[in-house]
Amino acid sequence: MRHPGGVFEQIEKTPSREDDIPADLEEDLRAFGCKLIHQAGVLLKQKQVAVATAQILFQRFWYVSSMKQFGIGDVGMGALYLASKLEECSLRMRDLINVYDLLLQRNKHMLDMQNSTVHSPEFRYAPMSYFGNTFYDLKDALVVAEMQILKRLGFSVNVVLPYNTLVNYLRVLGLTGHPDVCTRAWGYLNDALQTPVYALYAVPTIVCAAILFTTRFLGICLPSTPPNCWWELFDADWEDVWSVCGYIMRLYRPRSAEEKSRVLGLVSKKGVRQWLEEHEPVD
Amino acid sequence: MNYVQLEKLGEGTYATVYKGRSRATNEIVALKEIHLDAEEGTPSTAIREISLMKELKHVNIVRLYDVIHTETKLVLIFEYCERDLKKYMDAHGDRGALDPMTVRSFMYQLLRGTAFCHENRVLHRDLKPQNLLINRKGELKLGDFGLARAFGVPVNTFSNEVVTLWYRAPDVLLGSRTYSTSIDVWSCGCIFAEMISGVPLFRGRDNQDQLLHIMRIIGTPDERVIRRIMSESGESQQQPPKQFPRYPKIPFQQVLPKAHPQAIDLLERLLQFDPAKRITPRRRCSTHTSPQARRQYPFLPLALSRLLSLPTPHGHHAAQQQQQQQQQQQQAAQQQAQQHAAQQAQAHAAYLAQAQGMPQYQAPPIPQAQGAPQAMVMPQHQYMTYPQQYAGQR
Repeated sequence: MRHPGGVFEQIEKTPSREDDIPADLEEDLRAFGCKLIHQAGVLLKQKQVAVATAQILFQRFWYVSSMKQFGIGDVGMGALYLASKLEECSLRMRDLINVYDLLLQRNKHMLDMQNSTVHSPEFRYAPMSYFGNTFYDLKDALVVAEMQILKRLGFSVNVVLPYNTLVNYLRVLGLTGHPDVCTRAWGYLNDALQTPVYALYAVPTIVCAAILFTTRFLGICLPSTPPNCWWELFDADWEDVWSVCGYIMRLYRPRSAEEKSRVLGLVSKKGVRQWLEEHEPVD
Repeated sequence: MNYVQLEKLGEGTYATVYKGRSRATNEIVALKEIHLDAEEGTPSTAIREISLMKELKHVNIVRLYDVIHTETKLVLIFEYCERDLKKYMDAHGDRGALDPMTVRSFMYQLLRGTAFCHENRVLHRDLKPQNLLINRKGELKLGDFGLARAFGVPVNTFSNEVVTLWYRAPDVLLGSRTYSTSIDVWSCGCIFAEMISGVPLFRGRDNQDQLLHIMRIIGTPDERVIRRIMSESGESQQQPPKQFPRYPKIPFQQVLPKAHPQAIDLLERLLQFDPAKRITPRRRCSTHTSPQARRQYPFLPLALSRLLSLPTPHGHHAAQQQQQQQQQQQQAAQQQAQQHAAQQAQAHAAYLAQAQGMPQYQAPPIPQAQGAPQAMVMPQHQYMTYPQQYAGQR
């Protein structure tokens, strides 16, 4: 149930890659889509379980669909709506749409700023009209996105969240007394939601990676020489833990101004298609 | 579509059910048509039902064969069952009351289906006679998973708007959102009593009235118990705990004079006010992370063994065991007398014993008890011996 297709090739060559979207761009767009979900969740005061579930479904979706076919904005919105139903804290469609409209407008503003087409640095949100086309267009997009997620994931929308596991592992390792450990590890788990790891690895592996980061950062020693390796206690494989760490580290990689503004224009599939036309691979 | 739509079977709140026939195999199926609403997208009941039921494959759970997803509607294709338990009771019961053999067979199947859900970490949350389907072979199947949800380590808070009022557990009525498998166990108890007597056991008009109905029969519990349950509910912490009239417990034997002592004993364990005392998963899986550990829920096998009148392996003391043996002998005699009267039920039982070989139920290995009551331990062989006993009766 961890990843819908479950085959290695699917992970190696995602549908977006098939459509000539480069790996680093897909990675950045996935992360950006997850950030939008997170921001929307905060503005809607939605529970973290629903936000995290939405991010995991969002990541899963890109193993069965291409960003040329679906925009990360729409799918993110659909994932948050769906996850809120699954976690029994439903959102009003109107609220979700307003919040996404605000986020998209702010995006556009930042993009315009960078292209220096506007000069006022202050962002002003222009609310949509109650019965306007913007609302109905976004609503249609939302319903379609939710349906597509369900259909393409074959209703495999069961998600396991890592938080309880983290608390249990820290208890087992006797690390709960340390003031900083739990908060920091918890933070890594949340950051990891912006990467595809929850669609690829089992929760214990991801939790081990978060603990590994935490203990290294805080200089806490845990038994790490064979045959006494702490992660083996949780049935995690070192190679996998290390690979999860890699995904998370890539999230922290410094990005150039160009890379940062690139994603802002690619929230919709229209933007992605345009980008692909401009960057056609030369044979 | 690969199915021919036949007559309408019923209409629910969010779906219409039709009888259907497969074009390929001529098999009769049930088609549940769900209209997709532009106001709220795909109904959450449909999402739950599909995502959970496609994983649950068991004789005592209605099988979901296929899902057809179009722009405007969603069609779920289910295994066809002739009628639900409510209609079965109306048609075959004596003013609704079923004969002991049928009750036993249905209760066994109900608990088996419920146990399977719980082992796969699914709470049904809406068990009631209308949601239990009976086919022509006398097989009982759990259906309508529209309110079901997956559960994991108990941390999540769930909605307390679950379960039809009459079958709703008292802890849920008090506002609990951290309920677990015990919520379904309560409903099983209510259904059990209803099969014996023919009428629902607790018929409240609203939340509060329902609680009073329950207390009038099983007695008002200790105030500390109520306070503890309410403190777990989160919401009601703001309001002062309500005062409940103090009712004494009425013995179930008085409420259900027809019931056998063994049935009363099981009922007693299913209908405990305190969810912690209801026959429950012996330990919560909070400290266990391996999938095997999560599957170890030996509580229902114990319930089954009681139902099937097997001796408890580790009785509290000898006297109790002796008493149980006596009860068994009594029961054996009684059952023989009942046998002639209950032709149809026997057909069920025979079918079940033969077709399913009853004890195919795979008992999970019993984990080492940690401060758990000994009586809960149920070695595998105890219920493996069932068919011989069963055969001996015939």
